[in-house]
Amino acid sequence: MSDARDDEADPAAVGAPPLLGRWSHLYALVLIALAIEIAVFWVLTRALR
Amino acid sequence: MSGLDWLVLVAALALFVAYGVWRSRGERGLEDYLLAGRTLGWPMVAFSVMATQASAVTFLSTPGQAYADGMRFLQFYFGLPIAMVVLAATAVPIYHRLGVYTAYEYLERRFDLKTRTLAALLFLVQRGLAAGVTIYAPSLILSVVLGWNIQWTIVAIGALVMAYTVWGGSRAVSHTHFLMFGILWFGLAVVAVTIARRLPHGVSVLDALAVAGRLGRVNIVDPRFDLANRYNLWSGLIGGGFLALSYFGTDQSQVGRYLTGRSVVQSRLGLLFNGLAKVPMQFLILGLGATVFAFYLFTPPPVFFDPGPVQQVEHSALAPQYEAAVARHHAAALVQAERARALVAARHDHDVAAIATAGSALEQAHRDVEAARGAAVDVLVRRDPGLNRNDVNYVFLGFVLRHLPAGIIGLVLAMVFAASMSASSAEMTALASTTIVDVWKRLLRGGGVPRAELVASRVITLLWGAFAIGFAEFAGKLGSLVEAVNILGSLFYGTILGIFLTAFYAKRVGGTAVFLAALVAEALVLACFRWSKISFLWFNVVGCLTVVGLSSALAALRPSWRRATESV
Repeated sequence: MSDARDDEADPAAVGAPPLLGRWSHLYALVLIALAIEIAVFWVLTRALR
Repeated sequence: MSGLDWLVLVAALALFVAYGVWRSRGERGLEDYLLAGRTLGWPMVAFSVMATQASAVTFLSTPGQAYADGMRFLQFYFGLPIAMVVLAATAVPIYHRLGVYTAYEYLERRFDLKTRTLAALLFLVQRGLAAGVTIYAPSLILSVVLGWNIQWTIVAIGALVMAYTVWGGSRAVSHTHFLMFGILWFGLAVVAVTIARRLPHGVSVLDALAVAGRLGRVNIVDPRFDLANRYNLWSGLIGGGFLALSYFGTDQSQVGRYLTGRSVVQSRLGLLFNGLAKVPMQFLILGLGATVFAFYLFTPPPVFFDPGPVQQVEHSALAPQYEAAVARHHAAALVQAERARALVAARHDHDVAAIATAGSALEQAHRDVEAARGAAVDVLVRRDPGLNRNDVNYVFLGFVLRHLPAGIIGLVLAMVFAASMSASSAEMTALASTTIVDVWKRLLRGGGVPRAELVASRVITLLWGAFAIGFAEFAGKLGSLVEAVNILGSLFYGTILGIFLTAFYAKRVGGTAVFLAALVAEALVLACFRWSKISFLWFNVVGCLTVVGLSSALAALRPSWRRATESV
């Protein structure tokens, strides 16, 4: 994830790049963390009502 | 407030301003002033993005929201991590490649000038009004703490924020965000520990949350789909996701923060860190509110947290009636405290039958307390028919002033000021950026001389501050501040987001199609707000999908409204 490599993309392009790529692991980490948080909060809600 | 509190507050404010001034030395031109020369690393980007969103409203109103309505407001943030991923993958590389100052510059390259201008104007209206709420919040604190006139307090606080913002520029804003956010987290941790230590002997934080949960305050996740229900899992994931996409992807107060990153990587990491940290942070803040609610189950709470109306009625002919209502409320609160202790004891004994019995008894006692409170508030309303019965903005502050020790009160006020200054400074910089870049330089053909552009930016920042201060005078009429900000945003964000998503992904749609679709979408959203019962989070979905769907349909029906080429 070096700065230089990431900035080598076509400077003329203005469309969105592909959603997945070499960053997909980090994106997955964020989404999995969200899923775990919602699950934990759901358990808390059920346990403390 | 004690001398120690004043010392802490004044020292913190002096530190913020001095640090901001020190970091802003050596600014040369517009790019340095508006985007810190695009030189910052991801930690600075991440904390600046988070500090911009976490205004004083976050720390004043959010705990009160949990106190009055439970922690279900947390669901509002569930869509945010999804939005961070989408934006890290799409908007960040596009903005960086094009080297834009504002998000709206991109729209002219993709569509045309009128679409850029429409989006910029929608942003200026929405953010200008929201900036008023940001200034109102700390003014509310000082007026309550010191008994100052709130109108003059708004002017004084607004002027302080403006002076700091005009002087500091974007580099100072980002660096002070880093410092301020550290103080915010430190303050939150201190307050959390202090509240835990103030719970009655033998009552743990888990006990407190369990008792609060019995009365519906730990209602964090509600999976039932209901368009009229303001906060549930689906409105949070979908509506909140669209709102976050729009706020972080198209609102210049946020885009301007991550454009300060020195590369795509740094900006991306900053946004993804926000995606990881935001939900736990809001959980802690709402948890403070639920714990304050639990605290007041064991200790009789004030009838009404806003002290102004109470002082008025105590000096009126209605004073005897109000005192009688307060006495009834106090007696009911003592019964409630006894039953809360019984529930905790039953939990410690792991006696399921006793827990059920004590829980039912507590629920009845709480209903009695609420009825007594309602009767007392009725007396306040008879004194002032225009009274806002919603006092959630005063709950956390009232608790801090009544129950936290000297020094901690000053720290909490410093936290609130840090939050307010950080959010306001980012808003003012963004309003100035958009006015200068999208209106003055582009529409009016101004600028060209670097020194004049810098001076103009500072003048425009001052003018926006004056506008925000004017609107702040009315913010007290808006009910819960945190909801008011988000409702206001939802009126405009969906349309703006629709324009941007069309730009990113509907490659055949041209400028006129998206411009007309945006006008229709905005009218539809305003009609929904005025005449429907749809919860505000869904406005973002309505506005966005209308722009994307209608612009695509228009482009399909009329070839001249299609985009001529696939690249700019």
